[in-house]
Amino acid sequence: MSERITVAHAVQVLGLGVAAGEDVLETEVTGAQVSDLLSHVMAQGKAGQLWITIQTHPNIVAVAALHGLSAVLIAGGFAPEEETIARAEEEGIALLTSSEGAYALAGQLYELGVR
Amino acid sequence: MVHYEFPILGRAYFLGGRASTSVKRVLTQAGVDRETVQRVSVACYEAEMNVVLHARAGHVALDIYTDRVMLHVYDRGPGIADVKLAMTCGWSAASEEARALGFGAGMGLPNIQNQADDMQLTSTVGEGVRLELTFYRRGAGDE
Repeated sequence: MSERITVAHAVQVLGLGVAAGEDVLETEVTGAQVSDLLSHVMAQGKAGQLWITIQTHPNIVAVAALHGLSAVLIAGGFAPEEETIARAEEEGIALLTSSEGAYALAGQLYELGVR
Repeated sequence: MVHYEFPILGRAYFLGGRASTSVKRVLTQAGVDRETVQRVSVACYEAEMNVVLHARAGHVALDIYTDRVMLHVYDRGPGIADVKLAMTCGWSAASEEARALGFGAGMGLPNIQNQADDMQLTSTVGEGVRLELTFYRRGAGDE
């Protein structure tokens, strides 16, 4: 069995930016998914998952909060909107950023042991 | 029985999810089991976004009973001309603007049907949509 992987661990190894949720980075990452369709995440999401997307609007926080996702990682160098950051802080959702694409990030998370 | 109501504003994309977040909070506070909370929350979010994307305004009515949760979502808007077609996975009437934001995948109503134990969808074109959902609480007999 692999060791427990936290959001903080992923942030450190993948060199991610933290746009919101500094105080919830100890949450465990129990899986991951890549999708830009919110309904798809609503249908397939599971608590603890880290969600990689290029969507930046505040609704990504609502989806993450309703599912209890561990973090939302905005890929491809896109920046979250200000309202998205404010809502993530309000809901206690970790909002991460990276200049790398979703494919590369997913590969790195897999290598890290997130399955 | 405990009753709550939450308003939904049409077209207010950035407020979408507020009603569902409130529903999840009150269900959790009422001691409803996690699985039921999750099912109601997911269905509520999809229904709320349907109101945001298609209608002028609406509201969520939530009734918590010892054995079940009833979630009714009503809106005032264009309504649905062909309910059967709207239930088809992948079919959507969402605008290009909504699709660019990751909505309008045509998965909302099928998602809701998958979460709820009973779903009644009725609509009058030009007036609006009435969505009535029932969720039986898991392990309700033990509480």
